[in-house]
Amino acid sequence: MSEVSASAVPRVVRPARARIRFGGVGVVGIALLTVLVVSGALAPWIAPYDPEETTGAPFEPPSRAHPLGTNDVGQDLVSELIYGVRISLTIGFLAAVVAITIGTLVGVVAGYAGGWTDAILMRAVDVVLVVPFLPLMILLAAYLGPSFWNIILVIGVLVWARPARVIRAQVLQLRSLDFVEAARVLGASSGRVLRRHILPGVLSLSLAQFILAASNAILIEASLSFLGLGDPTAKSWGSTLYYAQVRSAFLSGAWRWWVLPPGLLITAAVLGFAFTGFALEETFNPRLRR
Amino acid sequence: MRKLSVSLVLGVLILMLLLAPVGAQSGAVRLALTRDEGWLNPYTYQTGYPGWNIMTLVYDTLYYPDLNNEPIPWLVRTTRVSTDGRTWTLTLRPNLRWHDGRPLTSADVKFTFEYAARVAHSRWTPTTRNLESVEAPDPQTVVFRLKQADAGFRLRTLADVPILPAHIWESVTTVAAARAFRNTVGSGPYRVEEVQDGQFYRLAANPQYFAGPVKVRELVLPIIRDATVSFTALQAGQIDANSRVLTPELVAQFEKTQGITVMRGPGFASTILQFNVEHPLLKDARLRRAIASTINTNLMVRLLMLGYATVGSPGYLHPASPFYAAGLKFEGTKARAVAILNEAGYTDRNGDGIREAPDGAPLQFTLLTLAGNPVRIRGAELIRTWLKDVGIAVNVRVAEDAAIIDQVWPEFDVCRGRRFDMAVFGWSAPVMSRPTALVDLFHSDCRIGAINIGGYKNPALDRLGEQLVTTVDPTRQKQIAAQMQKIVAQDLPIHVLFYPETIMAFRSSTYDRWAFQKGQGYVTKLSFVDPPK
Amino acid sequence: MIWRFFAGKGVQYALVLLFAATANFALPRMMPGSPLVFLAGEDVGFMTEAQRTQLYQAFGLDQPIYRQYAIYLANLAQGNLGHSFQQGRPVAEIILARLGWTVLLVGGALLLATVIGIAWGTLAAWRRGRPFDIGSLAGAMLLESTPSFWLAMIFIAVLAAGARWFPVFGAMTPGAGLRGTAHILDVAWHLVLPMATLTLITVPTLFLIMRASLLSVLGEQFITSARAKGLTERGVMFRHAMRNALLPVATVFMLNLGYIVSGATVIETVFSYPGIGRLLFEAVLARDYPVLQGAFFIVTVSVIMANIAADLIYPLLDPRVRHAR
Repeated sequence: MSEVSASAVPRVVRPARARIRFGGVGVVGIALLTVLVVSGALAPWIAPYDPEETTGAPFEPPSRAHPLGTNDVGQDLVSELIYGVRISLTIGFLAAVVAITIGTLVGVVAGYAGGWTDAILMRAVDVVLVVPFLPLMILLAAYLGPSFWNIILVIGVLVWARPARVIRAQVLQLRSLDFVEAARVLGASSGRVLRRHILPGVLSLSLAQFILAASNAILIEASLSFLGLGDPTAKSWGSTLYYAQVRSAFLSGAWRWWVLPPGLLITAAVLGFAFTGFALEETFNPRLRR
Repeated sequence: MRKLSVSLVLGVLILMLLLAPVGAQSGAVRLALTRDEGWLNPYTYQTGYPGWNIMTLVYDTLYYPDLNNEPIPWLVRTTRVSTDGRTWTLTLRPNLRWHDGRPLTSADVKFTFEYAARVAHSRWTPTTRNLESVEAPDPQTVVFRLKQADAGFRLRTLADVPILPAHIWESVTTVAAARAFRNTVGSGPYRVEEVQDGQFYRLAANPQYFAGPVKVRELVLPIIRDATVSFTALQAGQIDANSRVLTPELVAQFEKTQGITVMRGPGFASTILQFNVEHPLLKDARLRRAIASTINTNLMVRLLMLGYATVGSPGYLHPASPFYAAGLKFEGTKARAVAILNEAGYTDRNGDGIREAPDGAPLQFTLLTLAGNPVRIRGAELIRTWLKDVGIAVNVRVAEDAAIIDQVWPEFDVCRGRRFDMAVFGWSAPVMSRPTALVDLFHSDCRIGAINIGGYKNPALDRLGEQLVTTVDPTRQKQIAAQMQKIVAQDLPIHVLFYPETIMAFRSSTYDRWAFQKGQGYVTKLSFVDPPK
Repeated sequence: MIWRFFAGKGVQYALVLLFAATANFALPRMMPGSPLVFLAGEDVGFMTEAQRTQLYQAFGLDQPIYRQYAIYLANLAQGNLGHSFQQGRPVAEIILARLGWTVLLVGGALLLATVIGIAWGTLAAWRRGRPFDIGSLAGAMLLESTPSFWLAMIFIAVLAAGARWFPVFGAMTPGAGLRGTAHILDVAWHLVLPMATLTLITVPTLFLIMRASLLSVLGEQFITSARAKGLTERGVMFRHAMRNALLPVATVFMLNLGYIVSGATVIETVFSYPGIGRLLFEAVLARDYPVLQGAFFIVTVSVIMANIAADLIYPLLDPRVRHAR
C-alpha cells in the first residue's frame, strides 16, 4: 500500500457484460492521451515562450503575457507545462517499456518452464514485492543518481514484478488449454508453442499491463521529483511541483496557478492511461480467466 | 441508528475543534528546529546551526560570541595572557552551579579539555591539538598552555567548547558510549525537561542561572524538517519563531503580515563556484578567470535571491567581516571572458561550438550541485547557459548530499583527493567568522587546509596563513588577511557568487526580545539572557 | 498435508528473508558517500586521520566487509538491530517509537478505506450501470490517478494554513503536556488531514476490487438458484453474494496489512508526521546503515508474515481453494 503504487495485488475478474460501458471509458482514455501526446509533439509551436528562458519577473501571478504566471526564475509556466508533457510522458512510457519487457519475459519463462525455474523466478518476484517499494526506490535513486535514464531504469526495475505475476498466471492458463497440450504432445518444439500459442495470448495482456505500468510510472516520477530525488533540471511536471513546493508556493497563494495545473495534468495523464488500460484489460482478459 | 452515528461524529468533531486551542501555549515560546538534535548534549547534537546554538542554551562555554561575533567572557571573569601568547590564565566566576546543584569548578574545565582530546568529536577534538596542558591550580583558576600562539584561541576554542560536568561524564569512556549518552545536566540557562523522539524538545528556564534572570520561562522546540511547512506553521501561528532563514520569496509577504516581525542583516553563509584546481584544464588560472567573468553575479542576486543577498567578494571574506580587505571587487563581462579565452589559446578549432585547449582537449565540464538547495540548482543552470554562450559546454548534475560530498570531499577528508570538475557549493556562517577561515580554505597542506576542497596550492599564501594563525595583534591580523585576500582574488581558486542575507522572522506578539547576531540570526543565548556583568 | 505446505512455503519465505536481509546489508554500503559526518558531527573536515580511525573502529566500520556481514547476521538472529549512527540510540528503540504513529496513521487509513471501499463497492455493484455506478467508477479512477503529495499539500494550503481548522504539522501539539482525553483528542486532531489524504488514495483500489468481485459473484450459478428459491434481492446480496465477494477484499486487506509498517513516506513528509516511512527516507540520505537495515528488515518481516497469514487464512475462508490443492 505505498501510496505511490495503488494496487499491490492482481486485479480481480470483471464480468464480460460490462464491456459495453467500458468502451466509453476507453474512448475517454485514448482521447486524453491523444490530446496530451499531440500537445507534447507540437510543443515548439504551441508554447508561447522557450521554457528555459527568463521572460518575466520571478513569482509573477497570472497576467496576459503569462496566463499561468512565472516560476521562481521568471520562466513562463504555461510553456514549462507544455514541454513537460514530453518529459513526463516519455519517462512514463520508457519506464513501462522496461518494466513490461522484464515482466513479460519473466512471466512467460516462469509459467512455461515450470519447476525450479518457476520457483526461483517467483521468489525473485516475491523479494521485489516484499522489500518496501518507496524506500527501495529512494535507495536506488540515491545510488544511481538522478539522471533521466537512471530514473527510467529505477522505476522500470521496481514496477516489473506485478505484471510478471499476472502474465505468469495467464501463461499457466494457456499452457493447460487442450490445443496447446495437444501441440506439445504431438512434438511441437517449445519455441513453436511459445510463438504460436502462448505469446499471442500474452501479448494483449502485456499491452494492458503496459498501459497500467505507464500510469504508475508517471505517478512515481512525480513523487520522486517531489522528494528531491528526481532530476530537477529536466522540466517534468514533477520537477515543476518540486520547485513550487520548495519555493513556498503553498504559503504565498501561488499554488493556485503553480501547483494545481501540473497536478491536474499528472492526474489527466494517469487517468488517460488508466482508462485505456482498464478498457484493454476488459477486452482481452476475462474469458480466458474463467 | 444513522442519525445517532452522524450526530456522534459531528459531536466529536466539534469537541476536537473546541479543544484544539488548548494546545496553544501561553508563556512558552515555540522555536522550530530543522532536524533532530539528539539529546542536546555536546556529544549527541547534530548540526552546527542551530544544533550548537541550542546545545549551548543547556551548557555554557568559557567565552561566548556576542552579537558582533566577538567572544565575550561568560563563565570566565578575568583572563591573563602571557606575552608570547602561549599561557592563558583564566579565573572563573564564583558560585557557578550545575543543574543538579553541584559546583562548577576548574576541575570540570580541565576534565572537559582532556576528555575532548581522548574521546573523538569532530568539533572539540581538533581544538585540543594545540593544547600542551590544562591545569587547575585552584577551584577558580584554569591555566592553558598552548604549543604555539593561536589567534583564534578565544573564538574557536574558548567560545566554542562547552564545559562538561566531570562527575557525570567521567564514567563515559568510549566514543560509542558518548554518542549514546542521554544525560543533559549542564550549567546553562535552560534545562532539558522533555525529549520526544523526532518531534520536539521542551526546555525550562534555570531559576538559579548565574548571569541573571532568564527571559523566557519555557522553550518548546518542535522539529519541522520541511522548510515550507515550518513557515506555514509560523504564518498560521502554530510556532513563534523559526531557526531557519526566511526564504526570499516570503520576505515581502511576512513583512506585511500582522504580528510578525522580520529581522534582516548581512549573512555570512556563502554560495560559491568551487573549482577543482587539480583538474588538467582548470588548473589554468586564466581559464578560471574567464569562467568567472561570464557569471553575472548581480543578476544572480536579483533573480535567484530577489535582491536579498550581497554580491560575492573575490577574496572570500564578506564586506561586513572585520577582516575584509576594502576595495576588492570582481569585474567580469562576457567580452572580457571571450578576450581572455582567445588570448590564452582556447578557441573552437573544429567548429562544433565548443572551444578546445591548445592540446585539443574540449572545454567540457560537469557542474555538480546539491539536490536540497533549489537556489543553487537554478544558479547552476544559469552558469550553464552563460558558459554555453562563450563556447564552454557544461553538464549540470544534481545529486543528494552524500553522493556529491563523495566526489567533492570524499570522506570529508581533503587528503583523499577529489573527483569533480566544478561544483556550486557553499560554506556556513561560522566558517566566515573565524579569522583563520582563509587558512582552512586555502592552505596546501591537507591537514591544515581542512576545507581546501579544490586542492589549491600556493606557497606564498601558505606562508601568510601560517603567520596569520600565530599573530595575536588585531591590526597585524587585518594586514595579513588583506594580503591573503588579494592573492585569492587574483588566482580565483573559488569564485564567490553571493552571500545570502540572514533574514529571520518571528511572532512579535508572543516574544519580541530576540537579539540578532550578525551574520547568523537570533538563535543565541543573548536572546534569552543578558551577558554576565 | 498442512505441514508439507508449511515446510515448502516456509523454506521459500526463509530464503526470501535471507535474501532481503543480505540486500539490506549490501545496498546501503554500495551507495556513494560516508556516514562519517553523522558519526562525528559537522566539523568533520578538521579531524585527524587518527581520530577518524578511532571513530570507524568504534562503530565497527573498519572491519572487512564479510566480517561486518557475519556480525550483522548474528546480531539480526538475536534481534539486536544495533545503534543508530545519527542518534546513538538503539535502532529498535527508534523504530518502536515511530511504529506506533505509523500503525495509527497507516493502519487507521487502511481500516477506514476498507470499510468505505466495501460499502461504496457494494452500493455501486447494486446499482450497476446506473449513473451512481458510472460516476463512482470515474471518481474512483480519478482519485487513484491523483498524486498523493499534491492532494496533501492542497489540503494543508486550504484547511490548515488557510482556514486554520487543522494543525500544519506533527502528531501532537509540541510541549503541551496533555494527558488522557485531551491528549487523545489532540492526537486525533493532528491525525485528521494525513489520514484523510491517505484514506482517499487507498479507497479506490478497495472500491474497485469489492465492486468487481461482487459483480462477478452475482453472475454465478448459485445466485441464480438463490433468486429462484425466492430470496429477496437484499437477502441474496447480504446472505450469499457479499460473503463470497469479500474474499478478495480480505486478501488485499491482509496483504496491505503487511505494508503498513513501511509507512507512507510522502504523506509523512508533507505533514511532518513521525512515522517509519520518513525515518527510512532520512536514514537513506544520512547513510545511517543500522537504522536503514533495521527498518528495512522489520518491514520485510511484516510483509512476509502478512503473506503467510494470507496464505494460511484464505483456504479457511474459501472452501473451494482448500480442496483444490
